[in-house]
Amino acid sequence: MSKDANKPGAGGTRKTLSFKKLQQASILILLAVLCAFASFRSPTFFSWTNLVDNLLTNAAALGIIAIGMTFVMIAGGFDLSVASNTAVCSVVLVLTMDGLSSYGTVVAISAALLLTAMVGIGLGAINGVLIARVGVNPFVVTLSTMLVFRGIALILTRGGQAKQVADIALRNKFSWIYDAQIPIFGQSYQISMPIVIFLLVFGIGTYLLRFTRFGHYIFAIGGNEEAAWLAGVNTHRIKMITYVLCGLTCAIAAAIFLAMTATAQAESHMGKELDVIASVIVGGTPLGGGSGGLTATLTGVLLLRVIDNLLTQFSVGAEYRKVVTGLIIVIVVTVDVLAKKRSRK
Amino acid sequence: MSENDSEILCMQDIVKEFSGTRVLDLVDFDVHSGEVHALIGENGAGKSTLMNVLAGRFDDYRGRIRFDGRDVRICNPRQGRDMGIAVIYQELSVLPNFTVAENIMLGDEKARHWIRKMDRASISAGASRAIEYLRFDLDPDEPVSRLSKARQCLVEIAGAVRRNVKLLVFDEPTASLGSEDIDKLFQVIKDLRDKGLAIVYISHRLGELPLIADRVTVLRDGKVVGTKNISECEISDLTRMMLGHDLGEIFPEKKNHPGKTILKINSLSSPGVFENISFELHEGEILGIAGLVGSGRTEIVRAIFGTAKACGEVEFRGKPIPVRSPHQCRSLGIGMVPENRKLEGNITGRPVCENLNISILERLAGAFGFQSPRRLVNRAQCMIERMSVDPPDLKMEIQSLSGGNQQKVVVGRWLAADSNVIIFDEPTQGIDVGTKAQMYRLIMDLACEGKAIILISSELIEISKLADRILIIRNGRLVREMPGTETNEDELFAECAGKDKG
Repeated sequence: MSKDANKPGAGGTRKTLSFKKLQQASILILLAVLCAFASFRSPTFFSWTNLVDNLLTNAAALGIIAIGMTFVMIAGGFDLSVASNTAVCSVVLVLTMDGLSSYGTVVAISAALLLTAMVGIGLGAINGVLIARVGVNPFVVTLSTMLVFRGIALILTRGGQAKQVADIALRNKFSWIYDAQIPIFGQSYQISMPIVIFLLVFGIGTYLLRFTRFGHYIFAIGGNEEAAWLAGVNTHRIKMITYVLCGLTCAIAAAIFLAMTATAQAESHMGKELDVIASVIVGGTPLGGGSGGLTATLTGVLLLRVIDNLLTQFSVGAEYRKVVTGLIIVIVVTVDVLAKKRSRK
Repeated sequence: MSENDSEILCMQDIVKEFSGTRVLDLVDFDVHSGEVHALIGENGAGKSTLMNVLAGRFDDYRGRIRFDGRDVRICNPRQGRDMGIAVIYQELSVLPNFTVAENIMLGDEKARHWIRKMDRASISAGASRAIEYLRFDLDPDEPVSRLSKARQCLVEIAGAVRRNVKLLVFDEPTASLGSEDIDKLFQVIKDLRDKGLAIVYISHRLGELPLIADRVTVLRDGKVVGTKNISECEISDLTRMMLGHDLGEIFPEKKNHPGKTILKINSLSSPGVFENISFELHEGEILGIAGLVGSGRTEIVRAIFGTAKACGEVEFRGKPIPVRSPHQCRSLGIGMVPENRKLEGNITGRPVCENLNISILERLAGAFGFQSPRRLVNRAQCMIERMSVDPPDLKMEIQSLSGGNQQKVVVGRWLAADSNVIIFDEPTQGIDVGTKAQMYRLIMDLACEGKAIILISSELIEISKLADRILIIRNGRLVREMPGTETNEDELFAECAGKDKG
């Protein structure tokens, strides 16, 4: 068996469409051009501080959610509730740490993390049950749960007060999740904890998606759910698990956000679900699923981050940043549609 | 006795109801290993429902099923599959984003646990084994989206055979295949039968049954009319059993008289699809376009109707149509009954009335675009009567009608729009013989009224019996024009396939 045939891009992205590769390449080229332009205009762009500390560390939390979202979207689904889910998770995290602070920092933090993970999974499971078992449209389900989850976060914070862990020792200990630096080339080249967590999730996600039967079936469902079902694939369970995983990534992201800001706000991350979906789509996982992957999502996340970073460096206002981001999404998706049309002829 | 020993499936007293209507009424059906058992009947006779019971699509049927010597109840597709039953549906269920091998092995990927590493080598190996066993010409690593429909069908067959199926059901496999592919498919089916599989073959084309089937069961209105050996019965017997009465001549007498030119096509080309197509169409004429599937015949009429891009000129009553679009064509009075009824013909989920009126809403509108419901209903009522749509219920959602009646609604829409040119692309695909006869009569009547008709069909007998002139399209080129009166099916096929093959 040649090595090539075993190479993933699992379940079909491999050889399927060469223009897909072209599109992937074009995004990478766009990314490279932008970086080159950035370093030309601003010498600090390629500095370790800017690249790693600003760019990647800030991208990590949303990037982790984007990984969960990729699972959902390859299977043809959709999740609008991720930002609300993250808000609920960070509120739960603060509340439990506060409640358990008398048991010592280790107990408080680990118990709180465990509970939060369960909350994230549970909220994802609610989406999963309604979509996979009952069969309600994912857009409708997650639009409603987006509101419901946000409401729950508001209720838990008694109407939206910012919540902080009262115990300062505990708070400092917890911020390790954001602040810790792991040296890779001596002291001057370190990477932060969020990046490490991102890489870990990325690695596990890639393994699941590319090498396991579970990942294979995710692609199968995105390609033709009915056919997969008729072939005996337990499509309901697989879809359910994608939403659960997506919920789990929200919980992980919530921990990173909380470590960063030390406060949980019920109204945080509003609208971020669209950023997440945007980076997945820009990366190359289509609405409707069936192809795509985590490397694609990574390029999507990076592209949007680099653009944002660039515009910040040139002190372009937030309003223009939104316009530019929107345009990029439209352009990338339009190019994709045109390429598909051409290849069909 | 030996025949009884090989009985693999025996269905007895099967009853299935959809919201109170009995679709299957005490149906008995049995199949032996190593035989091809054809199942025929008009649309809505219950063939597909019976096979869906077998595939495990319903869990609320009544009756007894004995499969492979055991009494079974099949409540979901997985059970049916595990027992060794596979259904190849007309709308193929392959995964376009997977390779041939991945499709063949779907559902049986080896891994110790869903979260453990999947064994990709075993996928390739298993698929290659199946392909070799069947002697199919398939590349395991090719993406399925690149294969033709006929070859996608082979992928499905290989997938089923690989799972050690004992019973393989084909639900109208030839409906969308060209003649050449049909021959190949028949060979495949015969090979499978000789390997000892039991095969159920559902079809509308009675003509192909003697070529392929050993026995035939006829269903009518959810009941079994009879089961016969194919060698012992004539096609006319089968037709009578299906319809409950004699059909008479299905093709109407030619009595239309072509008049002056209404549509003129001048060197229409679309690179890589068809080239330099020129012809004229006259009032009151039926122009047949014959060609193999993939020869470009559909693309040509789509280009005329403006749904596909092409360069060249189209003149309507001597005036060129500058920009062609379906909208433009409708206002000139050109209508098209598209090939894919389900996807392109009707608006699923909307009632018959709306589907009939959709092309003339602007014309029926009163002041400020107000649509008078009464006027819409009256107009639709007229059409429904003229087309004898059954049941004549305007409020019914279009997809609850049988295929043939849905097709009548599509045709009725263009009649309502007073079209002078109507393009029929495979108008009788997947409709039963009774409705087919009605469709032929309708086409002839329209021509007699002076409407110009373009008729595309894979069933060459339709073209040879109905058309006044026939254009032969081969590989995107107009190779010959012949008068319709002097030809027959076989001669047409030889023309379409190319002389060397004929």
